[in-house]
Amino acid sequence: MSRQHPHSIKTILTFAIAFVSISVTLLISAILYSQFSSTIRENATVSTREIVRQVNANLNYYTNDILTIAGYARDLAKQTNELSRTEIERRLSSIVDSRQDIVCLLLFDLEGNVLLSTTDAPKRSAAEIAKQTWFTRALGGEGNFYFTGPHVQQLFTSSYPWVITYSQQISYTNETGELSQGLLLIDMNFRTVSELSQSARLGSTGYVYFIDNNGKIVYHPYQQLINSDLFNEDLESAQEYIFGTFTNTFEGRQRLVIIDTVNNARWRIVGVAFMDELMAGLNQYTTIMLIVLGFCIVITIVLARMVSAYISRPIRELDRLMNSVERGDFSAPPTVGGNQEVAALSQTFAVMVKRIRQLMDDIVTSQEMKRKFELDALQAKINPHFLYNTLDSVVWMAEQNDTEGVIKMITALAKLFRISISKGRDIITIGEELEHVRNYLIIQQIRYQDKFEFSITMEEGMENLPTIKLIIQPIVENAIYHGIKYLQEMGHIDIKVFRRKPGAVVIEVRDNGVGMDEQKLATILSFDGHHPKGAGIGVRNVHQRIQLYYGSDYGLELSSELDVGTFVRLVIPEHKPIQPIKVAQS
Amino acid sequence: MKKGTLILLLLILLAGCSNKKSEANTSYRIAVITMMQGGEFWGSLKNGARSARSSTGAVLEFFAPVNESDYEGQIRAVQRAIDQYFDAIVLSPSHYSRLEDVVEEAREDGIKVVLADTALRNVSADFHITTDYRQIGRAMAEYAFTHFGDDEPVNALVIGSMPNTTSMTNLVESLVQTFSGRANARIVSATYSFTDEAAAREITRNALQSDPSINVVFALEEYTAHGVANALEGISGIHFIAFGTTQYEIQLLERGVIDALVVVNSFNLGYRSVMAAIDLLNGNKPAQKMVDFDLVTKDSMFSEEHQRLLFQTFQ
Repeated sequence: MSRQHPHSIKTILTFAIAFVSISVTLLISAILYSQFSSTIRENATVSTREIVRQVNANLNYYTNDILTIAGYARDLAKQTNELSRTEIERRLSSIVDSRQDIVCLLLFDLEGNVLLSTTDAPKRSAAEIAKQTWFTRALGGEGNFYFTGPHVQQLFTSSYPWVITYSQQISYTNETGELSQGLLLIDMNFRTVSELSQSARLGSTGYVYFIDNNGKIVYHPYQQLINSDLFNEDLESAQEYIFGTFTNTFEGRQRLVIIDTVNNARWRIVGVAFMDELMAGLNQYTTIMLIVLGFCIVITIVLARMVSAYISRPIRELDRLMNSVERGDFSAPPTVGGNQEVAALSQTFAVMVKRIRQLMDDIVTSQEMKRKFELDALQAKINPHFLYNTLDSVVWMAEQNDTEGVIKMITALAKLFRISISKGRDIITIGEELEHVRNYLIIQQIRYQDKFEFSITMEEGMENLPTIKLIIQPIVENAIYHGIKYLQEMGHIDIKVFRRKPGAVVIEVRDNGVGMDEQKLATILSFDGHHPKGAGIGVRNVHQRIQLYYGSDYGLELSSELDVGTFVRLVIPEHKPIQPIKVAQS
Repeated sequence: MKKGTLILLLLILLAGCSNKKSEANTSYRIAVITMMQGGEFWGSLKNGARSARSSTGAVLEFFAPVNESDYEGQIRAVQRAIDQYFDAIVLSPSHYSRLEDVVEEAREDGIKVVLADTALRNVSADFHITTDYRQIGRAMAEYAFTHFGDDEPVNALVIGSMPNTTSMTNLVESLVQTFSGRANARIVSATYSFTDEAAAREITRNALQSDPSINVVFALEEYTAHGVANALEGISGIHFIAFGTTQYEIQLLERGVIDALVVVNSFNLGYRSVMAAIDLLNGNKPAQKMVDFDLVTKDSMFSEEHQRLLFQTFQ
């Protein structure tokens, strides 16, 4: 669309409807999206926190179990005077054996010598044992206990399982029956903690790890990768936020981190979930929403186009009708359906067009009537003048007793009039027209006593072609009165009828009369010309009649030269042949 | 706007929504071909590879001949990986020239080849991950020297596993070089056990018999170390430095039979090889970095970082 061109109603409506609908759709989508995303985020946070709490609870049950076993061992350790060492060890062994997660349970004195043991495996030296972390960290008063992180067990020679150690300083009854300080150890399978941690699935790659109160990793599912520098853990922020939930970005990924404290063990549990995984549901939702949104927009545009087309179609239709009326075609029925306003407008227009058509028809009718009157008047003009002269000649011949001449004259006159009347028709055949002019010439020949000769020739098959009547006679009359009459020698009038392309019929009238000068020739066909002696009135009448009837393409062609003659061509269109009027032979 | 434009718009929209998912589902098939089926070193390497698998979703298949010396078997394994249209191959060639042809063939077929640990002589692969064996050799030699005074002679026996691997040649060359830099230090003999415990035992016994001045033994592979340890049973005054992390070796370390264990982080090796293969397949450039190693003695074996390196397969 060019800039100057005003936009169509359809375009404006389409854009308006589409703009409003799409804006509303987008607004609703945006609101829904933000609502949904915050809900998802909330749910993800809640469920992640729940999982971490569950892991913590499981760990809690587990450590409580261990503490219970430790309590039982503590009680037994005080009963050494009642129960034999073997009996105590058997009781403890039965507990340890019943649990797959406990590797062994031992009691040491404070120098690291073994007092009680659930296993017969050869032990390391007391010195080696007493320097280990779990030993030193649990010392410091009765009841003091410690959970280690995963480490390689170093109690027995030639055995290196990964364990988590619970150690506690307790009192026991020694051989002398007095209470003495000792150190209780329970080694647990490393798998227990690793399984606890690995049971927690936070998203698809989220995980749970444990740190101690110094922020050092106690257990991490990716420990081996961390050892190899292939994986980094964000320990700093875990240490910064002691407890609670936070989100941060670490190594380019947004993480939801949940930190909780572990009872008994002075550990903290850290759950890490990745935002992009938690929000995966949102992505799916976004995809679906985008598709739906796309469909909505497309449907909106289609609907907008349909509605605007529905509204604008009658207007366009009306416009088209008005254009056709403007071009002059009043025939189309100017009614348009559609909405009420346009229908009303269309109806008013239809009434208007109908009225215009009526008025135009009236004009045509009145014009036609006017023309008819004119034609009649022109045809009527010929007769009285001629009749007078002819009858005068007849009288004269009768006085001379020229009976034969009178008969000939009257016969010709009768024929002349018969064709003139021709049952009131305006159109006759060329044959009849020529017959008419022949009779006229016969009369005139008698009147002018052989002052001229005439010939009439016609091409084959033109007899029945139609023509308006009485068009040759005035030309011939003119030739006689203004040309031949003044001649000293014999006059000639030659009439020829032939066809001229395209589709015209020419009636040629040639005389060898005195002719006309150019001035006279020029005025003879003009309407305003007012001549002395009325010369050319008949000729002009013929010209006007032909043009009135057949249009301005047809009419008379005149040429004349002084002392040579006049040459007149009547040109009319060739129409289909008609039947001559049947007249009873007299 | 015509209806065609609208439909086009819709299609673009749909296409935009749907092509997001395709990337996540691509799981590459990677063949991991080690020198042999057993062994702590290879076990740990495979664990590393598995760990990479679980974090990327790649499909791994492990191939290896039964014996480390069976490079023909390894060639067949590579050929099989080519025939089965794997996307990538992680390979530790057990022969530095015999596997060149088949690796070239694989690369010509558009398979990405990552060499882990050992390499090839004349053919370069798409990527190579290894540890610094020359530095290990130097560290081993220098550790051995610490047991001797400046004027004391150091006479070493070196037993490698496979003669035709880049790791062994680099190690032996580096040992020879470091020994040549010290007065009174010489390498009595450098031979290969072909990963055969009995052969290593015989080599050690024969060497000690023929040259009683030998006071240092280097065993460059775990099965070889086991054989050497057997031969050294009851013999004192010989310093023994070995490769590996087997439970037996750790016991020997604790018992003082082995003075020091060289531990290469083969978990790291396996993990990074697979990651490098995936990087290559995704058109990215893998990070160029040496795999770490450590020399662990009895005193340091239970320190926290050594625990995790030495006992990693027990976890």
